[in-house]
Amino acid sequence: MASKEMVNPGNQPVWVNTDNCKACDICVSVCPSGVLGMRYESTSTLGAMISIDHPEACIGCNECELTCPDFAIYVADTKEYKAAGFSFAKLTDEAKERQAAIVANNYMSLDQQGVK
Amino acid sequence: MAFNYDKYLRLEKMPTLWCWGCGDGVILKAFVRAVEKMGIPQDDICVVSGIGCSGRFSSYVDFNTVHTTHGRTVAYATGIKLACPTKHVICVAGDGDALAIGGNHTIHGCRRNIDITMIIINNFIYGLTNSQTSPTTPKGMWTVSQKSGNIDPTFDTCDLAIAAGASFVARESMLDPKKLEKIFIKAMEHKGFACLDILSNCHINLGRKNKMVSAMDNLKWIESITAPKKKYDAMTPEEQLNILPTGILKQDTEADEYCDMYAEVIKFHQGKRKAITQDDFAKKI
Repeated sequence: MASKEMVNPGNQPVWVNTDNCKACDICVSVCPSGVLGMRYESTSTLGAMISIDHPEACIGCNECELTCPDFAIYVADTKEYKAAGFSFAKLTDEAKERQAAIVANNYMSLDQQGVK
Repeated sequence: MAFNYDKYLRLEKMPTLWCWGCGDGVILKAFVRAVEKMGIPQDDICVVSGIGCSGRFSSYVDFNTVHTTHGRTVAYATGIKLACPTKHVICVAGDGDALAIGGNHTIHGCRRNIDITMIIINNFIYGLTNSQTSPTTPKGMWTVSQKSGNIDPTFDTCDLAIAAGASFVARESMLDPKKLEKIFIKAMEHKGFACLDILSNCHINLGRKNKMVSAMDNLKWIESITAPKKKYDAMTPEEQLNILPTGILKQDTEADEYCDMYAEVIKFHQGKRKAITQDDFAKKI
């Protein structure tokens, strides 16, 4: 049995169950290609919530899913994703630079400057 | 669809009670993945947990679970294992649960070498009761019970388990969930007492006064105090002082397992005793 949160909502490489997310920043810190970021949300636990800013840059490394303590983030199964006619991106220098900028911005998304 | 965790979880208990960024969740996830990889049916696993943040571990997994008294996880698990020797019995305890109040049970479990996998989630502090000194708190750290800095010498969990006679001893941190998954598989496949010292974070209670306020700062600190065993062995004694080696530290497949020896005892006594029949009772009357 799988809950509805685990099913891919429309061929996404990575998706989130926001009911479980506690905004601990760990997934943002382990992502190598700057896919994830936190956005300001006043009603959330720590005043922030995860957002997927660049799904097209996801390389499918699964690091975010493995290190999430709260079963909140999921990465598509590589075989199923390829069978559906999609593929994960390759790690580019631009993605690496974006990741470094997100970490320098206290794990907040780049359009959320100076919030945290 | 992603990896199906829901098969092994009690979804009505979600989200977890643990704080944001708590390593217990990562360990739970790695454990579930290890069970899936080994292909063990859910009914063949029994998870026994004690008191503390780690005690919640048994509430979230959909196996046979026992939430026991403080420190007595190994005592309960020994009973369960002797009654059902074919089942996998997993103990989950925190550093306070396994080394302070339950220290005696832990060393005697190691000594008997009974086929139990013991996961000690070591976060260096009593987290549930708000930061008192635990047996693994490093010297000089601020705790509620020792505000000028901890003066108690610290336990080395793995050295303790090796000295007490456990046949599989390993240390891993929750920084690398893939390694964690592998070590769980090796420990569960091993026949004998497997003692795993899993380093975890508690940035809420350990970190708040020790300059590790966020989960990431605490993880960086854990990374700085650990080194893989090969790298550790190449270090000089001065460099080794405050470093904990990770990886498999002891693996002895030759050691006698307690359930096997106990089966011999049962056989011995059953051979001597005659079956009692209705006629025996009739003669007595």
